[in-house]
Amino acid sequence: MKTRRLILAGLASVLALVSTADAQLNVVATLADFGAIAREIGGDHVDVSVLAKPTEDEHFVDARPSFVIKLRNADVLIEGGAELEIGWLPPLLQNARNEKIEVGAPGRVVASQGVRLMNIPDNATRAAGDVHALGNPHYMIDPIIAKTVAQHIAQTFSTCDAANAALYDANYNHFAATIDAKLQEWGKAMLPFKGANVVAYHDSWPYLAHRFGITIDTFLEPKPGIPPSPSHLAEVIDKMRAQNSKAIILEPFHNRKIAEKVAAATGARIVDAAQYPGALPGTDTYVELIDALVSRLTVALGGQ
Amino acid sequence: MSIRVISPAILCLTLLTSGAASAQQTTTAPSAPSMQSSDMESLKQQMLRMQSSLEAQQTRHQREVAALTAQVERLHTTIADLQKSVAANATVSAAAKPTGTAPAERPPSGAADAAFPTTDDDVVAAKAQPAVPAKQTQAAFPTTDASVTPAATPTAAARLTGPLTIVGGAKTFLNISFDGQFSGATSTEKHLDTLEVGDHDPHQRGFNARNVELALDGAVDPYFEGFANIVFKLDNNNETSVELEEAVMQTTTLPWNLQVKGGQFFAPLGRINAQHPHAWDFVDTPLVNGRLLGPDGLRGLGAQVAWLTPLPWYSQLSLAAQNGSGSTGFSFRNRGDGDTFYGRTTVDRQLGGAGDLLFVPRFENSFDLSATQTLMVGASGAFGPNDTGTDQRTQIYAADFFYKWKSAHSSRGWPFVKWQSEALMRRFEAGRGVDYTFPVSETFDDWGAYSQVVWGFSEGWTAGLRGDFLHMQESAFTDDPERQSRWRTSPNVTWFPTEFSKFRLQYNHDFLEANRFLASGSEDSVFLQFEFSLGAHAAHKF
Repeated sequence: MKTRRLILAGLASVLALVSTADAQLNVVATLADFGAIAREIGGDHVDVSVLAKPTEDEHFVDARPSFVIKLRNADVLIEGGAELEIGWLPPLLQNARNEKIEVGAPGRVVASQGVRLMNIPDNATRAAGDVHALGNPHYMIDPIIAKTVAQHIAQTFSTCDAANAALYDANYNHFAATIDAKLQEWGKAMLPFKGANVVAYHDSWPYLAHRFGITIDTFLEPKPGIPPSPSHLAEVIDKMRAQNSKAIILEPFHNRKIAEKVAAATGARIVDAAQYPGALPGTDTYVELIDALVSRLTVALGGQ
Repeated sequence: MSIRVISPAILCLTLLTSGAASAQQTTTAPSAPSMQSSDMESLKQQMLRMQSSLEAQQTRHQREVAALTAQVERLHTTIADLQKSVAANATVSAAAKPTGTAPAERPPSGAADAAFPTTDDDVVAAKAQPAVPAKQTQAAFPTTDASVTPAATPTAAARLTGPLTIVGGAKTFLNISFDGQFSGATSTEKHLDTLEVGDHDPHQRGFNARNVELALDGAVDPYFEGFANIVFKLDNNNETSVELEEAVMQTTTLPWNLQVKGGQFFAPLGRINAQHPHAWDFVDTPLVNGRLLGPDGLRGLGAQVAWLTPLPWYSQLSLAAQNGSGSTGFSFRNRGDGDTFYGRTTVDRQLGGAGDLLFVPRFENSFDLSATQTLMVGASGAFGPNDTGTDQRTQIYAADFFYKWKSAHSSRGWPFVKWQSEALMRRFEAGRGVDYTFPVSETFDDWGAYSQVVWGFSEGWTAGLRGDFLHMQESAFTDDPERQSRWRTSPNVTWFPTEFSKFRLQYNHDFLEANRFLASGSEDSVFLQFEFSLGAHAAHKF
């Protein structure tokens, strides 16, 4: 009995050591955009790990068991909500047994809260493809929304680590000021293309279109999540010719061959874009990602 | 705000209508030729009371408005402070970074030298907007947008009262999904149910509906979640049978990395046993699972504790205790069809103590071999009494292995390669049956394994190949066809139009080994399976 108690005590102290070894907040972000912003807000005081790879289809991420361990050790979880991660996050959380990040806990950031989602279907039916009943969840590409999410993250960090609240607040203010200043740059660059028709492979860009006044309502997919069919592509090509569309936005995991075919038929350019920092070279931060998107878009639309 | 304005109005309305009602009563009173003065007096009193209550309402309302105004003013001050700090910050950043565009000197308010808005009320709510209001911005591009972020400051309070995303859906307490799996079958074996080993496998030539299931799940309360799976099957006479496959409650956040569940559930023995048929990569059950764990898999009523060890990789120890009785406890307290199992007339053994329960321990570990490769290995066992005698027991040992590669640029999850293998060994003490009526008691050492590779070669398409082997120890005393050693090869191709539907074409080549009682033989079968799912979006376990 005594030895058993000793062993238990030893185990407990080892656990305590492990858990207090670093005072950093353990932050898990489901997606790379949340991760990049969490790093900017938290600086050295947070240890951020991101579950989904920036280059993979975020709707279909494998629930790898190693993610359970990351979630078990998390002080803060940042998820997009709005059913974006519904295919893989629930079983992970079920296994993680971590009350710090359970629903309603201070450590759980549901980034879509406080964001008015676009394109909420009146009648959610899967006959319309893989629709998101709560609205389009690809909202982080709008810098104004990113500011709000950053503030949400800063507030959560301050709640979970009150000692560094001032720093998180200052970092948020810096992030918001940077975005405000950058918006001037991006707005100016995009201004000549106001109203331009841009085609995308998947309907993940309504927030970008809304922000910069471009039109993205033609998609290579006939319906969200449904692979392009030849007849649909023929319609897209006709429409692109009629509207003089000059750019096709393609994400890293989409079928490039199909986009190339359409581009060849219409003379449009392919814009290799991504929703997540790290998916394009030189885009480790959120601002760098939007920089890259704006410059790639303007190059394609400007036709230089 | 609007509620506050409306409520006095409603109050007035109710007062008025009640007044009108009483007035009506007075006029319709048949006994009074003229209105009596007492009536008039009471009416007057009532009116006076109404008036005073209205006045009280008004005063209260005014007080509230005053309080609200004060609050708004306070908020304005906060906003101004925030703006100052933002401006100061911007100045600092501009000074620190030569590339920063925020000017150190702020232009006079209203001056618009910038054209792009940096706010947008469409996206973030304007009311509590902490960001710089348009007046103060030196930029013309909005930096806020109430149309996209309606509550720009998600305060702690707002977060807690805001809509919470509950696992599986934001607006329901219960997720419901329905999955229908059907298969067309043709085979050289006339009685397909003797060739196929699983209860959810095709049982006859022609069409089959062996697994049409209704799944329910949701958060029970902050402490538990619940899950139930009810399966409907059509037998070879097209009669419907219902089976309560699973119904469990499970803890969510127990301390010490523990998780407890209880109810009717699949024992954690190996990998495929606990998976539902719609998650399988082949039409039918592996031979070794069907013959050693039973046609329904190993499941039953019981409880389970699982401990996620503190190791830095995924490492879980679990122990389940179940009744282990009936056909879902196949190798244990199972009386068998017609009270006969492996030729013995079975004993009706009741639980004599905890030692008569079926115990299923499992240890599983997972490692990320690289960013795109994951490995999962597990070892499990199952130990409990069986019904072929009064003190006979069964031991099952199992090892499982699962490897998956998935592209870092996967679209809808493709392309990928999965390799899954399991080996099971069973030591079955077969007694002499009830009243020692069977001539001998024997110990069967049976074992088998399967290995399958599935390649997701093109978006929506997979190709699979499975090899199955089963060795049943030969006995001189029982001619049970379920004790025939055999092997099987199964190639298949599957098309997933979306994640909610699939079509699968599979070919099986079966070879059955001769033994003392049964001749050898080979059979060929072809299956075309189709499946749909409705309702809540299923999440996929690894």
